[in-house]
Amino acid sequence: MTENIEDTKAGGDFFELLDRTGYNLQDFLDKLPVNGKSTVPQGTTVLAFHYEDGIIVAGDRRIMAGSNMMFERCEKIIPIDHCSLMAVAGVPAIAFEISRILSQYFEYYRRTQVRPMSLEGKIRTFSKLLKENLTASTSGLTRVSPIFATYDIESGKPSIYYYDMLGAEFQVLSFTATGAGAGHIRDVLERENQWGPKPLAQRCEKDAAIIAMKLLHVAAQLDNEEKKSLADVQIYPILASVTENGYKFWSEDQLTRLEAMSREGN
Amino acid sequence: MFEEPYRWMEAVSTRHNYVQEKLKMGQPVLAVPYNEGLLIFGFAPQPGKIYEIYDRIALGGVGHPADVERLRMNLLDMAHLEGFNRSAEDVTSTRLLQFGIAPALKQNFEEIQRAPYIVRLLLVELNMQGKPNFFRMNYDGHWETFKNGTAIAGDEKVMDWLQREIQKQPFATYSLDQALQEASKLWNESRKLDSDNDDDEKENDVPETLQEAFDQWYLEGAVLAEKSSSKAIYRPLSEDEINRLKSSTI
Repeated sequence: MTENIEDTKAGGDFFELLDRTGYNLQDFLDKLPVNGKSTVPQGTTVLAFHYEDGIIVAGDRRIMAGSNMMFERCEKIIPIDHCSLMAVAGVPAIAFEISRILSQYFEYYRRTQVRPMSLEGKIRTFSKLLKENLTASTSGLTRVSPIFATYDIESGKPSIYYYDMLGAEFQVLSFTATGAGAGHIRDVLERENQWGPKPLAQRCEKDAAIIAMKLLHVAAQLDNEEKKSLADVQIYPILASVTENGYKFWSEDQLTRLEAMSREGN
Repeated sequence: MFEEPYRWMEAVSTRHNYVQEKLKMGQPVLAVPYNEGLLIFGFAPQPGKIYEIYDRIALGGVGHPADVERLRMNLLDMAHLEGFNRSAEDVTSTRLLQFGIAPALKQNFEEIQRAPYIVRLLLVELNMQGKPNFFRMNYDGHWETFKNGTAIAGDEKVMDWLQREIQKQPFATYSLDQALQEASKLWNESRKLDSDNDDDEKENDVPETLQEAFDQWYLEGAVLAEKSSSKAIYRPLSEDEINRLKSSTI
């Protein structure tokens, strides 16, 4: 596993460690064919918004290739560390690889430096990874547009960041959505935030979760690339939250109850 | 030297004596199971004794801080590369020790021209089945495994005594507070064993009792607890837990 103890370097840079072992994401991406057409499977809709205790993150589970549904149990919300989640719409292959690198990176940094990476550090590291994807991303073949939701223990605040395909980060103060169904969801979220019983950031966990479920129904109904969620076979959207206690995913039982409540109009 | 095997053996024997002399002042690190996982802790004049290595693996070290640090970084690199290239479940303390650190340490120790590592390591793991594993690694690459807890110390006599005493108690049935109290008592009694032999400690203001240790030094401790809500189950001891220990033992 190791040939020389002397080769070990301090610093906490997992990218540099991967480079030393010969792994390079950019090399893989450079070899991808550039044909401008995207027939590879793509994820569809994910969203995130602030609620009173933290952030709700939700996404459907479909993977579409054009108008064909390729897979319906995709995990589009991926834990990065104990208080950070990444939600992905776009090409899942690259997104999963990015999340794999990031999760190891943040934990590697925390363990080597004996302190967690700062929020700014995490955001920039994420941005750097997306920039490495840039060439392939502009070809359309590997587009990834992620949402990064995290709770910063140091400042005691939750934060949502949206990244465009070129790696630029934008802090989101209320809500965001990305993917094919994002346009419809943003309209509804704006209405809920402005004219709902309370602003989204003041809603309790249950209300926020029900809104998220309803929004994904909306996206499924209105987006050409999606179909109705298959509640009769219990393939529910994936729902998670990030608070000061870390991240949490809703279980199947909880999602079943939420689905019923969202359809009753509660 | 190499044409005369006896001289090489003499050089290695001198090397052992050198490292053991340098290690002598190293303060013990104890690792014991408890009813929800395992506990690793030790007192030290400065922080830098107990570390997290991977999701279910922790490290304790005795010896030269720079040597402990270098081996710690090495273990971290191996663990994270293995976790990235394969999976978190493939990162086990047996693999890190047996196929990683041990051969490298042995090679280093037997290279007479190079400075040896002045270090003893304690590697603990709570495996995926919830079973604790304890490993002790010596500066010459020799490692041992234990089921019911172990300890490392600078003085081999103290280390062996702690090992025997740990085996006598059913730590796996204790709560965390009980395990901390009993292990601290063992640490305290081992001081008497140590101070009987060495007057230098009195000159160097080394604490001789638990109370002095709490006053003058840092208590570093951590648990690997199965009930953790996150994938990485390592958790440093909280201030409350340390304060409860302090008030119950002094």
